[in-house]
Amino acid sequence: MNAAVTLRDFRTTVVLAGLGASLLVATIFSLTIGAVSIPAGDVVVILLQKLGLFQSTAVDEMHTVVLSSIRIPRIVMTMLIGGALGVSGAALQGLFRNPLVEPSLIGVSGGSAAAVVVLIVFGGPLSIYLAAWVYDSLLPIVAFAGGLSATFLVLRLSSELGRTNVAVLILTGVALNALAEAVIGLAIFYADDNQLRTFTFWTLGDLGGATWQKLGFAAPFLIGSTGALLFFARSLNALALGEAEAYHIGVDVERTKKLIILFAALAVGVSVSLSGMIGFIGLVVPHVIRLSFQADNRLVLPASVLGGALLLVLADVIARTVVSPSELPIGVVTALIGAPFFVALLLNAKKRHEL
Amino acid sequence: MYEANQIAFRTQGRTILDGISLQVTPGAFTAIVGPNGAGKSTLLKVMAHEHQPSQGTVSINGQDIDSYTPRELAHVRAVLPQSTTVQFTFTVEQVVALGRHGRRALPAEDRSVCEAVMTVTGTLAFRNRQYQTLSGGEKQRVQLARVLAQVWDETVYPRYILLDEPTSSLDIAQQQYIFHLARTVCRRNIGVMAIVHDLNQAVQYADALYFLRDGQVVANGPATEVFTKSNIEETFRCRVNLYRDPVTGQPYIIPASDPAERFIAVGK
Repeated sequence: MNAAVTLRDFRTTVVLAGLGASLLVATIFSLTIGAVSIPAGDVVVILLQKLGLFQSTAVDEMHTVVLSSIRIPRIVMTMLIGGALGVSGAALQGLFRNPLVEPSLIGVSGGSAAAVVVLIVFGGPLSIYLAAWVYDSLLPIVAFAGGLSATFLVLRLSSELGRTNVAVLILTGVALNALAEAVIGLAIFYADDNQLRTFTFWTLGDLGGATWQKLGFAAPFLIGSTGALLFFARSLNALALGEAEAYHIGVDVERTKKLIILFAALAVGVSVSLSGMIGFIGLVVPHVIRLSFQADNRLVLPASVLGGALLLVLADVIARTVVSPSELPIGVVTALIGAPFFVALLLNAKKRHEL
Repeated sequence: MYEANQIAFRTQGRTILDGISLQVTPGAFTAIVGPNGAGKSTLLKVMAHEHQPSQGTVSINGQDIDSYTPRELAHVRAVLPQSTTVQFTFTVEQVVALGRHGRRALPAEDRSVCEAVMTVTGTLAFRNRQYQTLSGGEKQRVQLARVLAQVWDETVYPRYILLDEPTSSLDIAQQQYIFHLARTVCRRNIGVMAIVHDLNQAVQYADALYFLRDGQVVANGPATEVFTKSNIEETFRCRVNLYRDPVTGQPYIIPASDPAERFIAVGK
């Protein structure tokens, strides 16, 4: 028994280390690619310099500038968003005991999208009164506020006497998403071609435009909510038995439920405000981890952070290269590379009768 | 002592429990019997602190149940439902280890407890199998192992196990296995309270018996004393014949076979 458990801990460590190493390689590879091609060696040297671990003047000054002001903030943002979406999906699937759950279910994406489209289509007159930079930073703030208020509404409507009814919560989420769709449809009806294009691209996601300034505001929220969700691994394992059973073995179920929903809404809300809607990662990454390794959330949660970051970094590489110098919308790429991989895993699991 | 004191439970204008008092003694097996709708499961949920009673109090080892945190409560009482589905693919060993959630024990201690409870429940042999692939009987034994893992530690205070018709979908061999095991673990300063469907099994394993009807206790006391034709007929409104095993002296019942005679008119 000792040997078996130690072996399992060892395997968890190996899986996480492997994902971490892949993420590191993908990151360095991603940093070499772009309008200016930078050799991997220079990338490593510049990264080490930035971290204060290495002194060298043997690299091109322009490479340093390109990396530190454009590519590094972008890849940091990509990793943080990928990780936040992955872990949110894993935590919500565990909480609702439902493999089909994705972050949009708690209303956060629908709320964001509805708020954004209203701003894009009807917010035009605001640009006259507001300074340009205020108007520009309005979109992420509105997205964040819309997403979080939708989640609060869903949570409020599905709770009674401090208890949250999961069935009601899921159905309320469905209703709210339908309402958001209606608002979006109505706004699109009044939109002109340009506004339509802006909104369509926002719904497909965009990782461009990352700056250190934006990151400085968003990173603490993303890191905080992602990190907080990792602490729920053992409670989520208990919840696999059911809510009543989890309470019997000592989980404060109502508190756990509310905190997970709030942290997931925060993670997804901030992500959506930075990059628009990036689907698929929250739904599929946790399944890939479970199907490839095991369902213990002490592995699934951290591996979903790393796996989500890895998938988004790879998708970003493809998005930036295939139609260079233009860029494909990131949401299109995550689905294009994620879906076939997921189907292959499902078929394999079906063959081994694991589903 | 695990005590319910004058418990009333009302929901949507209906009274489910109507002033029930009940005591579960450490080291003994207390069985609850009664017809469908008597309030047995609701009583168990109130005792487990899943439902808040409309009136009355529940206390464990002299302390009001409301003053326990969920984690402290998990240290003194465990609950085995009729059946448990586990979402996602967990192994038998992982499911059993979930019983250790509320303990902040060393991993080595958790492992030796899990090993001990898997041994007594006969689940050690398939501890690496996926829970979903098990038969109904095997699943219930794994859940019993999980419940035992929760209260296995030898502590100065008594612990309790609540069983909600734990054998309702099992064959007779599995039923005997589960009840026999529950009876055996009483020796570890554990009190067992079980809702039992089969009256003959109730009297076979229980030390104390409670007859419930319409949210009230009809009769209670030492199992062999209160297991009488009149108590059973009054509680279940069904004619029965009471016999004794000629070898062991164990009482058992067989419901009257004449359908015209079986149902007793409810009259006040």
